[in-house]
Formats: sequence, C-alpha cells, structure tokens
Amino acid sequence: MTINRIYKISLLSLAILIGIFIVSFGTFYTYWNTASADKTCASCHEIQNSVHSQAQSSHRNLKCNECHGTALSNGLHSMREKGMMVIKHMNIKSDENILISEEQLLEVLNNCKRCHSSEFADWSSGGHSIDYEHVFLNPKHNSTEQINFDCLRCHGMFFKGTVNDIVEPLNIKGPWKLKDITRATMPAIPCMACHQIHQDGSPHKRPDYSGPKSIFYQKQDTGFVVGFYDRHEKVHVPITQLPRLYLKEGERPVKIADDPIMRNCVQCHAPNAAHQAGTNDDRTPRGVHEGLSCTACHELHSNNSKNSCISCHPAISNCKLDVTKMNTSYADPKSPFNIHWVSCSDCHKGATKVKSELHRITNNLKMH
Amino acid sequence: MDKQNKFSRRRFITLSLVATGGMCLLSRCVNPPLSSWRFLTGQESVLLDALVEQIIPADEWPGGRDAGVTNFIDKQLVGPYTRYQESYRKGLHAIQETCKTKFQKQFENLSWEEQTQFLKKMEAGKMEGKAWKKGFDREFFELIRNHAMQGFYGSPRHGGNKNNVSYKMMALDYPVIIGQNRYKK
Repeated sequence: MTINRIYKISLLSLAILIGIFIVSFGTFYTYWNTASADKTCASCHEIQNSVHSQAQSSHRNLKCNECHGTALSNGLHSMREKGMMVIKHMNIKSDENILISEEQLLEVLNNCKRCHSSEFADWSSGGHSIDYEHVFLNPKHNSTEQINFDCLRCHGMFFKGTVNDIVEPLNIKGPWKLKDITRATMPAIPCMACHQIHQDGSPHKRPDYSGPKSIFYQKQDTGFVVGFYDRHEKVHVPITQLPRLYLKEGERPVKIADDPIMRNCVQCHAPNAAHQAGTNDDRTPRGVHEGLSCTACHELHSNNSKNSCISCHPAISNCKLDVTKMNTSYADPKSPFNIHWVSCSDCHKGATKVKSELHRITNNLKMH
Repeated sequence: MDKQNKFSRRRFITLSLVATGGMCLLSRCVNPPLSSWRFLTGQESVLLDALVEQIIPADEWPGGRDAGVTNFIDKQLVGPYTRYQESYRKGLHAIQETCKTKFQKQFENLSWEEQTQFLKKMEAGKMEGKAWKKGFDREFFELIRNHAMQGFYGSPRHGGNKNNVSYKMMALDYPVIIGQNRYKK
C-alpha cells in the first residue's frame, strides 16, 4: 500500500468519523431536547424528584428546557456539570437533594419573564429587585449594623457561600466592597425567593361559565405558588405551611390578617424575638388599619402602594380629607403619619376623649 | 495487510451506525425497576409503617406513618445510616417470621393491641427464636425507636417530619419569625 493511499484512507476515515459524530450528536441532542422528561432528564436518579414535582405543578405543561435551557444554550459549562454528575453518580455519591446554583437560578429567572412579563416588569420596578451592591454596600446600614450571616436569610438567599464570601470587611467602619464585583448587579431577591416553581398546583384553566362557583368569590384556589425559600434547609416552605405571625403591642395582642401571603411577607418584615409590634422590620398594620393584610395596600410584585388608599377611602373622605394628598410617610418609624400604625388620635386631637365618650353613651343605651 | 482481518469500509460504517443508535438508547439509563423506595422493599415499607405508627401513634396530630418516618429511615439507610442496612433487613424479616409462626399473620395485619404487646416483648428483650439471639430483639427495637424519633422530630429535609408536623405539634414556629435589629445605635 502506498503512502498516498494510506493518507487518503486516513483522511476519509477522519471525515467519516467527524460526520458520524455530528450526526450522532445531533440526533442525540435533538432527541434529548424533544422527548418527554421521563425519558430524558428523569433518567438521572438525582433529577427524578424534580421532574416528578414539576409534573404535579402548575408549570406541568412546560418542558424542562423551556426554563432551564438546553445543555448547550448557556455554553459548555452545563455539559461539564452533567459530566461531573455522572462521575459522582458512578462513585455512588449521588445526592437526591440536588440543587441548581445561583447562576443557573438567575438564568431560569430570565426565562420567567417570557411568560410572566407583566409580573417581571412590576418586580423590576419595585424594591424587591434590589441587587447585591445596594444590599451589601449600603453605608447607612453597614455603619449602624454589623453585616452578619443572617443577612442572607432574606437577601442573596441562593448564594452557596457565606456573607464572608460576598463582602469585606465585616465591620462597621468600611469602606465595603464586594469580593466578586460581577455579583454587584445580580438580583438579591429573585422570583424564587417567594415562588416555588415546582410546587403542587394546577395550570390556570377557563372557568365553567354555567357554574358561578367557578367564577366568583367561591372559586377554589388551584394552588399557591408562593413559598418562602428557607436558606437554612434549602427548601421552599409553602405559605400554607408557614407560621402565622403573633404580635403584641405592649401586652395587647394585635389582630393579624389571616392572609396566607402575609405569612410570607412577615418572614423578612419581621418583629424582634419578643414579637413586639413596630420593632425591627415589622410593618404589620395597627391603629386604624389593624387587621389588614400587606396585600390590601401593596401590589404583589412591585410592592407599590401608591393610590391604594383610594381603593377603600373615597377621594374626599367623610372628614373632608383628600386621602390622595395625605402624608403617609413610613420611612421614619416615629412619624405620626406612618400609615402602618396611624391611629385616630394621630390626626384627630382629642379623638380618644370622643371615643371614650361614645363608648360611655353606647353602654348606657345597652343598659337601658 | 491480511485480507481476512481487514476492517472493511462497510463493516466500519455498520458498526458506526450501531454505535450511534446505542448512544441514543443510552439516554435511558439502565434503571432498576421503578420503586418509590431506595433501600426497603415494598413489603418492608408496609411493615415499617406499622412499626413507626406503634412507636408514635396518631392522635389529633399525625403519627409516625403520616409524618413520613419510614421515608426518613429509607433515605438514611442509603446515606449516613448505611451501616444499619443489615440490621434492618435482618430485623424486619425476623419480625415477620415470628408473627407468621405465632399468629399466622404478618405484623401489619395484627390488631393494634397485638402489635403493642409484640413490641413490648421486643423492647423487654423477651423474644423467642433463633433470630433474636444475643439481645437482638431489644437492640433492634431501640434502633427503630431512635430512628423513628429522629424522623419525626428532625428536619423535613432528611425525609421525615412531613409538613413540619412535629414543629406544629410543639407550637414551634418554623421558619422562625424574627427580624433584624435595624438602625439601633
């Protein structure tokens, strides 16, 4: 056999091999991204739980790759990660509590907006879209309160490391800087902080128009997708399982709305350990608004409460006050106009006296 | 080159195509038959459900079975508690064998009172039979009791305490509602 012939055969073999690789990889890749999750993703024992929980969720009609992307859609690192999973699996070190990384979670977040564009826009315009830079490099906060591990309970909850890996120095003097500058613009409270995407639920469906119970107030909820991400346990706690807040104003128990969504809010907007009203981050309504839920005034995703007063109070109230122009300042907890605990007597001087006089008259009437 | 040993072009292409097909089929890992259990068999899980329900019976709160204690034990047996696999296999088998000999029934089919008496005897180390020699009865009872407690009172992430049932029973808020000390100087 001449050298020329060997050279030709080698070249042809190489071309065939490349062709076979392209065809086989293409076939495999196409199959993987079109077949049902049961035949693909769930083949990995570690991912079976996620596949099964997704199949029970309100997102059940979506394919895994619609949210998580394909193996190549975010570069080759997914391939490397899957390879590592296989190696780990072969070494019998498989973990059924497999979790996606914060970076992968943020990639999923970018896919949330494909369907939930309105909610995403609202979230982007609200305080909960705050990024790492604004949370961890806030001089006012950092100089008055020591940055500590518990910050990550409500901010950067999906970060795998500790607060020590995010910001330095950990003191109240500063100046503070992020250890990884690329983290600066990453959202610190992503959708998944309050939403469990794989939670049990049913997709929305058209109501049965012949049955009023499926249209009006008697309509049954098909499942809440709200759930608090518990960083400590690395699981979402559905709002139905979250504890209800109990709160005291001095010794007096404060009435709390029985709104499951509020249970999620108070996980972070919480009072001190003694559960005293108005302490720490507590914003539970008291005074004239006692018993209202956060969601009675705050829009769910933007948290905007502007124009919410007018929903309950007429533009010109009975006392001739224009509620749209009232001072409802809340940034200062000592403000007498703080909408979270404004009471009758804050605006109407002597109102307590009038109230007690009314009580006396009513009691007298009851006795007679 | 020997003509007979020559790797023909046709054979090369055939093998390549077979390999391609094989790769496609590889996507379905050769799983063991699908079971909701990791270590336990279906029958063992039914028995263990009955045992943990005896140890933590349901009252106004769910008992061991509904709190997912069996799932906890099963999960731990393929994790940190691999060392107890043999004890469970041997112990669960011994319980069923003893029940069959004594009552001609499986443990889970005994009446509640019979199950209680059976376990009391086990706890006291008074079981008869070859399988229970060297105090294995008491040892195995303690093992299940300890694991049942861990599953019931421990964190749900380990497979038990379904829906935080024991936390609720003890009126423990979970997750704890506590804010930060904001702007106190």
